[in-house]
Amino acid sequence: MSEEVKIIERQKIPSGATMLFGFPDVGLVGVIAASHIISELNLKEVAYLDSKLLPPLIVLHEGLPHSPIRIFGNHDVLLAVSETAVPADAIQPIMRTLVDWGRNKDAKVMISMSGIPVQNRQDIDKLKIFGAASNPSVLKMIQDKDVEVLKEGYMVGPQAIIMHYCARIGVPAITLLAQCFYNYPDPEASAATLKELAKITDIKVDVSALLEKGEEIRLRARDVMRRTQKEMAKMKKTQEYDIPLYVS
Amino acid sequence: MSTRKKRSIFDIIDEYFERLDEWAERFGEVMIERPSWNQRASTIEPLRDILITPNEVIVTADLPYAEESKVQVKPLDEDSLEIIAKMRRKVRFADFGITHHAGEFQTFRCQTRIPVPVDMRKMEVHIKKGILEIHLPRKGRYRIPIE
Repeated sequence: MSEEVKIIERQKIPSGATMLFGFPDVGLVGVIAASHIISELNLKEVAYLDSKLLPPLIVLHEGLPHSPIRIFGNHDVLLAVSETAVPADAIQPIMRTLVDWGRNKDAKVMISMSGIPVQNRQDIDKLKIFGAASNPSVLKMIQDKDVEVLKEGYMVGPQAIIMHYCARIGVPAITLLAQCFYNYPDPEASAATLKELAKITDIKVDVSALLEKGEEIRLRARDVMRRTQKEMAKMKKTQEYDIPLYVS
Repeated sequence: MSTRKKRSIFDIIDEYFERLDEWAERFGEVMIERPSWNQRASTIEPLRDILITPNEVIVTADLPYAEESKVQVKPLDEDSLEIIAKMRRKVRFADFGITHHAGEFQTFRCQTRIPVPVDMRKMEVHIKKGILEIHLPRKGRYRIPIE
């Protein structure tokens, strides 16, 4: 574990779980999806992250302090989620520490949930979900389950670090990216991501409540989105729109 | 006698741009470091975005709960406009579990400056899925002949 980032466990952590990640990024797709999973599966906080790299803040729930980055779980699922925009400079060490921690718990696969921004988002009714994987056998598995592969392009943000680090240390990892708004919270994209997640894992949640509460979520998520925009600018997130230079 | 090193014009230009970057970053911080709501006016500031294309400027704003028929877009002058949108329901701090502030909001309101010259008279406004889209044709476009 990194000296700068520590994970403090509140209870015994199950081994062999699927580890999910929902971090603030375009459309807050991952965070909204993660919040919905926590609520639907009634996941409990099992660990939290402590780091001097984070801003000096805590989140208060029912009058009690919590770390803004926590891990929720049950016997089958571990889910790392952040309630605040993660500073661009802190993303690398935080993601690596979370992956190392999940690997120590024998997590069978790491799955990041996020978005891929499209300019004509409000004209799209059926959102596409794209997937990427850390090795050829995981890539084949998601293709066999009809996940459309993101074949060429740049990935920027927490999911990029998770994917690259997992590939390097030999941990199976998948990223699911839903078409979404760049700057606006997108609960529909989160719901589409969760439907895709159900295709490749045993994690199946009803998304009807998420879609019904869409406007409320968009209103609630404004401030986190605003601060996330600032961090996305620092990490040059718009590079995801770029056409890559092919180097074989 | 001054020992100050003579600087090239390139050093001066570099320094100018560095200062400009610093200023822009500081200005951005100031802009963001304030609440997104105004308790006295009972208004919430919507998330918004500006896209500049070769022919037009597109301003969008996320307006959840907005009554689409009551959204107003008013040009304030040649390069700024105001968006006002009444919501279908009142939103209270208590709805979000917040008990240390009191107040309720039923209106989105913001002012946006357009960074390039546009023709406000030809403004077109659409709203779809709660996203307001304002199209403003750019003006002052001229072609430089290539000899």
